[in-house]
Amino acid sequence: MNRKSVTATLLAAALLSGVAMQSAFAAEEKTNPIPGIPSNSLEMWGGKDGVHEWAVALFHYIMLDTRINFLFKEFGNPERQIFLNTQLETMVLGGPNEYQGASMTAAHADLNINMEQFNAVVEAAYNACERINLHYWACNQVIAALAPFTDDIVTR
Amino acid sequence: MKRNERAARTGSFLKAAAILAAGLFSGNAAAGFYNDGKVLLTGGVATIDGAGGGGITPWAVINGYGTRDGINGSLHYTYAYLPNYSLNSYGASVGLYDRLELSFTRSTLPTGSTFDTVGLIAGILPGVVGDTGIEPFNTTIEMDVFGAKLRLFGDAVYTSDSLIPQVSIGGFYKDNKNKDLLTTLQAAKRKDWEAYVSVTKVYFPFSTLVNLTGRYTSANQTGLTGFGYKDRTNGGSGKKDDKKEMRLEVSIATLVAKNTAFGAEYAQHGTSLDNVGVNLNGIGTGQLVGAITDALGPVTDVAGVSLDHLDDTLTQHEDDWYDLFFAYAPNKRISFVVAYAMLGNITLTPDQHGFYLSTHLTF
Ligand code: HEM
Repeated sequence: MNRKSVTATLLAAALLSGVAMQSAFAAEEKTNPIPGIPSNSLEMWGGKDGVHEWAVALFHYIMLDTRINFLFKEFGNPERQIFLNTQLETMVLGGPNEYQGASMTAAHADLNINMEQFNAVVEAAYNACERINLHYWACNQVIAALAPFTDDIVTR
Repeated sequence: MKRNERAARTGSFLKAAAILAAGLFSGNAAAGFYNDGKVLLTGGVATIDGAGGGGITPWAVINGYGTRDGINGSLHYTYAYLPNYSLNSYGASVGLYDRLELSFTRSTLPTGSTFDTVGLIAGILPGVVGDTGIEPFNTTIEMDVFGAKLRLFGDAVYTSDSLIPQVSIGGFYKDNKNKDLLTTLQAAKRKDWEAYVSVTKVYFPFSTLVNLTGRYTSANQTGLTGFGYKDRTNGGSGKKDDKKEMRLEVSIATLVAKNTAFGAEYAQHGTSLDNVGVNLNGIGTGQLVGAITDALGPVTDVAGVSLDHLDDTLTQHEDDWYDLFFAYAPNKRISFVVAYAMLGNITLTPDQHGFYLSTHLTF
C-alpha cells in the first residue's frame, strides 16, 4: 500500500467507527480557567479519594432529580460514570491526566442536553459538595474547571 | 476502552428516538414556554429601576430563572429607609429566552421632612409662589419606569476560560408624575429615557461576580427629581442643560454559599442640579430669602431652620451613590436583599444613609 491509500484507509476507518475513534484519540485535556484555580485545589478536595466521594454523592443527587435522572437511567452507567468522573475531575483540579473515558463532546453528542439539564447537574454538584462537607469556595474550583465543557455538552 | 467503545457503538438514531420519547413522557417537556432552569442567584435580583442586577445597577444577566429555552417572570418590592425619605419601588419583569428582559416599576418616594421647609414657605407666601407641588408635610414623588434589556453576547457564568464577559444593552423610559415639584426644583424634564450597556462576569476561582455599567442619562437622583436643569427663575429664559452623559456604575458580589452573596455597588451621579436653588413661581432662592425675611419681620426661624441658613437649606446637592448589600436566596421562588445605602446629599437634605430591604419573587 502506498502512503496515499494508507491515509485513505485510516480515514475510512475513522469515519466508520465514528465516536469510538474520536474518543480513543480525544480523551479530555486539562481546562484553563481564567484566572487559574489555586494550585492546592486537589489537596483542598482531599485528593483523588475526596473527588471519588464527591462523585458518589453527585450521582446520588443526579439520580434523584426528575429533570435529568431519566437520561442517566436510560443511557448512563453510574458505576462507570463515577469512575470516569473521578478521573476527569481529579485531572481538572490539578492532578495527573489519567482520564480513560470519551471526550465530553463524544460522550454527550447524542443526548440532546439543554441548558436546564446542564444546570441541574451543576446543582447536583453543589449538593454533593455540601454532602461531603467541602467548603463552597473549594467547590467553585471544580465549577470553574468544568465550565469550559459547557458548549461541548449542551447541544440544544 | 472496551466498555467505552461498546457505549459509543450504540446506534445514534435509536438513542435519539429514545430520548425524544423519554422527553415527551416526562413532565418537564410538557411545561411548554415556562422555564426556571438557571442556577440560584444567576439571574440577579431586582434593581430599584426594575431591571435585573444588584440594588442600583443593572447587570448584563436576564432577570429571573429562565434559560434560553423559556420564559420566567418576577415581582419585586424594595423599601429604602433614609433619614428624610423612604423609597418604595415595586414592579414586575419577564425574562424571555435568556435574551430579552422587559420590566415595569413604580417608585413612590414620600419625602418626609425634606421639603417641609419649602412647603411651609409656600404656605407663608401663597399669593407669591403659586403651586409648588410641595406640601408642608408628606410631599410624595411618583415615577414609573419602563425597562428593556437585550443580551448581545457572552455567558456571564460558564465561559470561565475566556475573558469575554456577558454583554447587554438596555434602556429605561422614566415618567415622573410630580410636575409641579420638578418645576420647583428646576429640572429640565420630567420624562426621559436612559440607555446603558452592562458587562458582567462571574469569576468562580474567586467566587465573585463583577459588573460594570455605563449609563447614558441626564437623570437627577435617578429621575426622582427629574432630568437635567432648566433655570426657571425670572421668567424661565435662563440657562438650560439637559444633555445626557455617560456615567459609570460598578457592582461586585462575592458568593459565600450557593444561596448567599454580599457585595458593594457604586453609581456615579450627575451634577445638573448640584448647587441649584429652588424656584417658586419664577422666584429664585436669593430673592425668596429676601421676601421671606421681609414677610416674617421679627421671626428668625422657620421650622427650626434659622433664616440665616435658609439660602443653604434651599440649595440642592447630588452625590454619587454607594451601597453594601447582602443577598440571600433560600430557593428559586424568593430572595431577600438587605443593604446599607449611602446616597449622600439628596436635593435639600445631606447624609441620606440608611437601610434598604428588597424582596424578589420569581415564578
Ligand atoms: C460539566 C458537566 C459534565 C461532566 C463533567 C460530565 C462527564 C461525563 C463523563 C466523564 C462521562 C463518561 C464518558 C464515557 O462513558 O466515556 C459522561 C457520560 C454521560 N453523561 Fe455527562 N457530564 C456532564 C454533564 C452531563 C449532563 C448535563 C448530562 C445530562 C443531563 C449528562 C449525561 C451523561 C450521560 C447520560 C452519560 C452516559 C453516556 C453514554 O455512556 O453513552 N452529563 N459524562
